[in-house]
Amino acid sequence: MFTVLGLVLAACGGQGQSTSPSASGAPSVQPSVSSGPFAPMSYPASGPADCKAKGYNGEMKEIKAVDEHTVQFSLCYPDGSFLSKIAFSAFQIQDSQYLQTAMVSHLLLARPVGTGPYMLKEWQRGDHMTLQANPNYWGDKPLVSTVVVKWSSEAAQRLVELQAGTVDGIDNPGTDDFKTIEANPALKLYKRAGLNIAYLGFNNQPKATGFDNSKNPMANEKVRQAIAMGIDRKRIVDNFYPAGSTVADFFTPCEIKYGCVGDKWYGFDAAAAKKMLADAGFPNGFTTKISLRDVVRGYLPDPKSVAQEIQSQLKNNLGITTTIDVQESGAYLDNASAGKLTGLYLLGWGADYPDQTDFVDYHFGQGASDQFGAKFPDLVAAIQKGAQSADDAVRTSAYTEVNKLIKQHVPMIPLAHGASATAFKADVSGAYAAPLTDERFAVMKPASGDQLTFMQNAEPISLYCGDETDGETLRLCEQINQGLYTYKVGGTDAVPDLATECTPSSDQLTWTCKLRQNVKFSNGSSFDANDVVTSYALEWDTKHPLHIGRTAAFDYWKGLFGNFLNPAPPA
Amino acid sequence: MASTAPLAEQSLDQPLVARPANLWRDTLRNLLGQRSAQAGLVLLGVVLLMAVAAPILATHGETTNMLDAGETRATGAVRNAAPCIHLLGCAASKSQHILGLDSNLRDEYSRVIYASRVSLEVGFFTVGIAIIIGTVLGAIAGYAGGWADNLVMRVMDVLLAFPALVLAIAIVTVLGPSLINAQIAVAIVGIPVYARVMRASVLSIRERDFVTASRALGASSYDILLRRILPNALTPLIVQGTLGIAGAILDVAALSFLGLGSQPPAADWGSMIGDARNVVFVAPWLVLAPGAAIAIMVLGFNLLGDGLRDALDPRLNR
Repeated sequence: MFTVLGLVLAACGGQGQSTSPSASGAPSVQPSVSSGPFAPMSYPASGPADCKAKGYNGEMKEIKAVDEHTVQFSLCYPDGSFLSKIAFSAFQIQDSQYLQTAMVSHLLLARPVGTGPYMLKEWQRGDHMTLQANPNYWGDKPLVSTVVVKWSSEAAQRLVELQAGTVDGIDNPGTDDFKTIEANPALKLYKRAGLNIAYLGFNNQPKATGFDNSKNPMANEKVRQAIAMGIDRKRIVDNFYPAGSTVADFFTPCEIKYGCVGDKWYGFDAAAAKKMLADAGFPNGFTTKISLRDVVRGYLPDPKSVAQEIQSQLKNNLGITTTIDVQESGAYLDNASAGKLTGLYLLGWGADYPDQTDFVDYHFGQGASDQFGAKFPDLVAAIQKGAQSADDAVRTSAYTEVNKLIKQHVPMIPLAHGASATAFKADVSGAYAAPLTDERFAVMKPASGDQLTFMQNAEPISLYCGDETDGETLRLCEQINQGLYTYKVGGTDAVPDLATECTPSSDQLTWTCKLRQNVKFSNGSSFDANDVVTSYALEWDTKHPLHIGRTAAFDYWKGLFGNFLNPAPPA
Repeated sequence: MASTAPLAEQSLDQPLVARPANLWRDTLRNLLGQRSAQAGLVLLGVVLLMAVAAPILATHGETTNMLDAGETRATGAVRNAAPCIHLLGCAASKSQHILGLDSNLRDEYSRVIYASRVSLEVGFFTVGIAIIIGTVLGAIAGYAGGWADNLVMRVMDVLLAFPALVLAIAIVTVLGPSLINAQIAVAIVGIPVYARVMRASVLSIRERDFVTASRALGASSYDILLRRILPNALTPLIVQGTLGIAGAILDVAALSFLGLGSQPPAADWGSMIGDARNVVFVAPWLVLAPGAAIAIMVLGFNLLGDGLRDALDPRLNR
């Protein structure tokens, strides 16, 4: 039946239509009762991956279901952040039987099946999404049975809806509206620490499109260092960020362990920068562009103003003339990770899990995308050293080196750690702002009624988060799906979720996870170890028949676990 | 067109060169005698003065950040700063900005002044292009008739079938966002109106006796079109064009509002409103000032256009 639905959906392109299920409200999937005894899977079926093989430099060696409720991960090297990684939204567990059809038909992107407190009732594209309590949920019943999620990219509209009472809470009120909200007794502002980074990226490829061959000025390290020195970042933070934001002295925020060890970023010195640029062969600057997407994120509360500020600073301090190129959000992210943004670009990163690997590995490690152009071998090596050790002294020295090399190579310029906030009606109990922006609606309750309406910045791109990187999308997945671990509500610690416990072997190379028993997916099928193996394996192996997702990029797997099995040959 | 009939008859028995001068003089007199046209001219005069004397009227640079102009937080240089006028009681320690500062700490008043240049240029450029192309196409269609007429006018019908702004957005998306592309898009969208007006005039005029006479005297089609028909078809085009400028300015402002027109840091009324839309409750003056400027300019062109239509209508000759 789902195949048919999938075909219909595929035929309609899944666009502009409500993907409302049958009248009962519950997804009408036949319970996938496993016939016969449990047959434990292991992946790869042919035996553990060869960690030393040429072309494979990933972390994962084997994923094995030991019995119905035990999974064992074998790793190629020790990983001090393993628990934080498996708690992340991109590694949530899907129903393996549902995956067989829904992944192929792309139905999974619009109709998730999960073990979480909520399930999707309706997704009216371009308008709103309705979640309702999952009757099969194993944990505490959510405080409200219905959650409506709306979105608007306009900070003013979000505030007006909150003031008018049509929504109970909003994400990211505009910087200038903080005071308005605090002055209103009916509303409450919940501030969120700046566990993020806004940066000005470069594409350092000498032949980056948009320039004559080998004439991309940004390919020159001296030019990048000059720009790094020639931008007054304090002025940007003082004028364009809300109180509580800080100038970024390192790429990773200091709240995160090993984040800021070693040398601080360059101080602002326009004269020295100008001289350096002249020495590099550009005494009169050059012409390039600043790309951005005009969407508000915690790390970038006012992208267009910040872009214009940088534009004017580049002009005044360095003589660099820039045009501003505003792109659509989705296309912008795709262009960034494909290395297609030329010149300078404004982007940022919010912590997915509070670990140095989430910042430096994803951006500069061996599995990083092409967003900064060519990788720096010494930086990649230092990052690898830090990630592959569980020893404090080794990691400290490795990350000191990492920070030094980032400062030397300037793949990007860290600008700010931006404070942001959520705002709720004062009568919503349990409301909060999550440091990792994964607010759980299940713990909130408005004084009036059994429904919570929340307005965020943007529409989720899909509801399968294995292949998404957008924070607005991940927040929704967190309500519906669950991973083996999760982050403490309102905190950053990894705590067991679908697993009751994961323990490492003494050499840190094997992690054994005991799974929660009697857990059912919202479609009625029961959760077992094979679901875990399948959910991980399909992301890991490019040759897995279900390695499909939305774009098959699976950026997070590559960024956090180093590489895919059977990686595509370099183009 | 009936309105051109008297003129055409006059043209027959008197030298052509002398009459149009009289026409323009009459028109001007009629125009100045009308209340609405007077108001329109005054409003446009103000805008024209703003554009011409911008460097004198503006108190600061168009793109100057006040922090670069020596001001500090202590003197009130914060983003979206409220208007500060010393005469109205603003503390002397704060620097004077009669319309406050925008989100990038630039003087809003100066930007409103400078942006008048963009809007004037936009109005005349887009309508100029549209009139030239529309006139040529309309003349060809009306004079040649037959399959050429069909081809040209069906293409115009296709253009007219799209909502103007939607078509303009589509064109800008293809060309890439910039002020010049926005103007080209709005000009293309405006072509069919002028082509239709021109074709209608040509159809009615080409059957007149003086045209037949010219043809009998051996004038070429080119001569007839340029010397006989075009001057007589000009009045409706002028009226349509003046009214069209107002529409074009609005359309380009709308494109700029959407980020498809004028590119930062240049000052433009549409993009200024667009940039300030999210602070509309915190700093309403940032939206109201450029909004009022657009309203004044568009109202000016509309009043003048109405006045011109009446002034050029011979049946209303007083």
